[in-house]
Amino acid sequence: MVQSFSIEVNRNVYDDVVISQVVYWHSDDFVITRNVNDNTETITLHPRDIHITNEEKERVLQQFQQDLNDFKLRQIVAQETKDIRTILYIKAFANNDDFVDYE
Amino acid sequence: MSSASYYLLPFYFRRLNHKEILVNEVGDYIVAPQGTVERIVYRKIEEKEDLFHDLLANYIISLTPIPDLIDIYAVRLRTKKSFLDGFTALHIFVLTLRCNQNCVYCQASSQKENACYKDMQVEDLRKSVELMFKSPSQHLTMEFQGGEPTLTPHLIRIAAEYASQINLTQKRELTFVLCTNCVNLTDEVLEICKQYNILISTSLDGPATLHNRNRGKNDSYEKVIAGIEKARTLLGMDKVSALMTTSIEALQYSKEIVDSYIENNFHSIFIRALNPYGLAVENTNWEDYNSRFIDFYKTTLEYILEINKKGVFFVEEFACLVLRKILTPFPIGFVDLQSPAGVINSVIVYNYDGYVYASDESRMLAEKQDFTFRLGKISDTYENIFYGEKSQKISQTWSNECLAGCSNCSYQSYCGADPVRNYSTQGDMYGHRPTSLLCKKYKSIIDYIFLLLMERENEVLPIFKSWINKTDA
Repeated sequence: MVQSFSIEVNRNVYDDVVISQVVYWHSDDFVITRNVNDNTETITLHPRDIHITNEEKERVLQQFQQDLNDFKLRQIVAQETKDIRTILYIKAFANNDDFVDYE
Repeated sequence: MSSASYYLLPFYFRRLNHKEILVNEVGDYIVAPQGTVERIVYRKIEEKEDLFHDLLANYIISLTPIPDLIDIYAVRLRTKKSFLDGFTALHIFVLTLRCNQNCVYCQASSQKENACYKDMQVEDLRKSVELMFKSPSQHLTMEFQGGEPTLTPHLIRIAAEYASQINLTQKRELTFVLCTNCVNLTDEVLEICKQYNILISTSLDGPATLHNRNRGKNDSYEKVIAGIEKARTLLGMDKVSALMTTSIEALQYSKEIVDSYIENNFHSIFIRALNPYGLAVENTNWEDYNSRFIDFYKTTLEYILEINKKGVFFVEEFACLVLRKILTPFPIGFVDLQSPAGVINSVIVYNYDGYVYASDESRMLAEKQDFTFRLGKISDTYENIFYGEKSQKISQTWSNECLAGCSNCSYQSYCGADPVRNYSTQGDMYGHRPTSLLCKKYKSIIDYIFLLLMERENEVLPIFKSWINKTDA
C-alpha cells in the first residue's frame, strides 16, 4: 500500500498556472501539498483512498506527466489566442453597426 | 521540408481512445492522431498535409492574425448562443404540491392529495401570467407542474384562459404543456386541454412491474396507459409525450424499458437520471448510482441503435440533443446544456407558495427550507425578480466559459453550467469539477457518443442524422 508520493516539477518548463490546473484535476483522489524551492516544485500527493497500490501509483504518475504536457499546450493556445477570442466575442455579441473596420 | 507559417485560433482538445478530439469555439470538431495538438502548437504542420487544410477549414488555425472569415465565424458563434436572444421562454407554473401518487424518487417533495395550503392562490396565478408576458421572448411556453396539476383543473383553466386573453394583443407564440402522471385525466381536464391546445407530458418508467414499484401503487401503470390512450384519442397522437426517470431499480431493465415505450407507440425516449432533490436525495448512494447510470445509459443507447438498425425509427432524446450540438450550427432549447445556464435565462418557476424561483430544482430545494434560489415574490416587479441581487449573484457562476475545469474543457460548447446543481451537491454555486458527478456523467456520455462517431461512423451516423432531422434513416 502507498501512503503518499512526490513529484518534482521544473517551474522553468511548467509555470504556476499549468501546475495549478493539473493539481486541480487530481484533487478528487488526493490531498495535495506544494513546496517551491528555487525553480523546482515538489508536489506531494496524499491518497484519499488508503488502499492505493503501486500499480495505481505508477498510473497516476504517468497521467500527471501527461496532464502537465497537455495543460501546457492548452495554456499556449489560450495565451496566443486571447486577443482573437476577444475580437470574436465582440464581433458576435456587440452591436456591429457601431463598429468601423480600419484597413 | 519547412513547416507552414500560421496563427492559432481558440480551440480545446481531449484525448480519447488514442486519438485527439479538437473542438473550436463554436463546437466544430476534428479527430486527429495523437500528437497533433503538439505539432499544431509548435508549428510543425506542413501546408502539403490534408490536416493543414482541415485545421484551416475548422477555424483551428489561420493564415492571417485575424481570419478573413471572422465575421462569418462571429455569426456562427452568435447563432450558437441565440437561445439568449429572447431571454426566458419556459415559464413553469407549480399549481399545487398535492399528488395522487407516492413515487419513490419524487424530486418535488409532493404532498398527500388532501393536504392543505399547497395550491397556488388565484391572485398569484394571474400575477404570474402577467409576469410571464413581461418576458421579451416571442415564444412563450407555459408549463403546468406539481405535485399533480390535474388535481387543480380550475387553476389550469384560469391560467390558460387568462394567458390566451392577454395574448390577443401580445401576439406571442404561446404553447401550453401539462405535466401530469395521467392517472386521473378527467373529462374536465381533457376538455380544457382540447380547448386551449394543451400538450401533455407524462411519466412512464417502463414495464408495469417497474412503473408500479416506482410509484408505490399496484395499479399505476394500468391507469397511466389508460390515461395516455384517452388523451391520444381526444387530443391526437402527437399531443402526448412521455419521460422516464431511472430509479435504482430501473438500472436492471434497459431493454424492457425501451420495449415498453415501443409497445405503447412512442417513437422516442429520454433516458433521464435521478436528480439529487426531494425524496431522491435521501434514498440514494449518489456516487454508486452515477457510475451505474452511465453504464445503463450506454447499454440502453446500444439497444436503441440495434432497434434502429432493424428499421424501427426510435430516438434517444438526450443523445439527440448532444448530437445537435456536435453536428449542427444551431442551439438547442434544453436548459440543462446551456451556457449561460438555463436558470432565469431560459426558465423560471412561479411556485404555489407565492414566490418566483430560478428553476424547477430551485423550488425543490425550497421544500427543504433552502431559499437560496428564491428570486422574489410573485407580486414583486419583473425587474426586481429577473435582474435583482439574487439573479446577479447567480449570474456570476452561470457561464462555463468562466469556470475552473470548464473553461478549457473540450466539451465546453456541448455542455452547460448549473449553479443550482453545484450548490445542492457541492455546497456552492461555483462547484468543483473534479468531484462533480454531473461533470463525470456528461463527460462519459459525450465521450461515448464521440467514440461511436469515431469508431462506428458508417453504422451510427445515418441513424444519428435521422434523429436530428426526425426522419427515418
